[in-house]
Amino acid sequence: MANLSTKIKMYAAANGVAEVDFMKDVMLQDDSDGNGAYIKEWNLDIAQPTDAQLSAQETAADTEEANNQVRSTRRTAYGDIGDQLDEIYKDIDAWKARIKSIKDNNPKS
Amino acid sequence: MAIDKIQSQSINLADNFAFTGTVTGASGVNTPNFFVRLGTNQAGISNEAWTKISLAHEIYDSDNAFDSTTNYRFTVPSGKAGKYFFEFSIFGKAGDNDLNRIHCRLYKNGSTILAGAENDWTNQAFRNAQMYSSSGVIDLNVGDYIELYGKLFHTDDGQFLGSGNTLANTRLIGFRILE
Repeated sequence: MANLSTKIKMYAAANGVAEVDFMKDVMLQDDSDGNGAYIKEWNLDIAQPTDAQLSAQETAADTEEANNQVRSTRRTAYGDIGDQLDEIYKDIDAWKARIKSIKDNNPKS
Repeated sequence: MAIDKIQSQSINLADNFAFTGTVTGASGVNTPNFFVRLGTNQAGISNEAWTKISLAHEIYDSDNAFDSTTNYRFTVPSGKAGKYFFEFSIFGKAGDNDLNRIHCRLYKNGSTILAGAENDWTNQAFRNAQMYSSSGVIDLNVGDYIELYGKLFHTDDGQFLGSGNTLANTRLIGFRILE
């Protein structure tokens, strides 16, 4: 099951809001009482989503979270940007081949 | 022989006294005081949500004022209003390189009163775990309650760490300041 924050991002994107700041636009809270996270504050101009509207984003949110993990894995495998610049300077084709291999081995959904 | 009675006229308050023994009963005690921490890891932390820390393991709790079983909060007991010092820390963890940011806050009566440090490691490697601490003084009335909340920005398996020794990891310490 996707995180509430991811479903809200998907809902916001579908309604024309590209970025959601969870420090000011939307505040989520989980009181550790077994009921999970909920929307405590909604400060975006678009309407706060209903439970049904959030549930409708479940599949898209699952895909987004899976892709976020792929992005994280790729970022680590790419390595330090300074080292990459050195690789490019020495042999750009070898660098391109290595990056392609990382992407191929870690495909997005 | 210890002095057990002093008449007020016999002491000049401008004099200096160099005690070499032990003076007892001359000061107050910083109660209530408590030290609580996570007993086990708190897993399944929702991404980007302020999450109450389930501080279930008491190291000490002088006035039994910390609820470590249900609400995980300190409530000021009767007759104990005043300024309180709090120190708090959270140790966040996620999957390999999946922890991007971490925040911690103290809530007073359900609203933020003290914010802890924060950082962003999104573009850095080795983002598996990180600990943050903060502290401050809060004026509290009888019945006011204090809770510790943390927020993790992660892409997988976010949790607050609670295992380890008594001084490390996720904790809340507090005591009343004598005035």
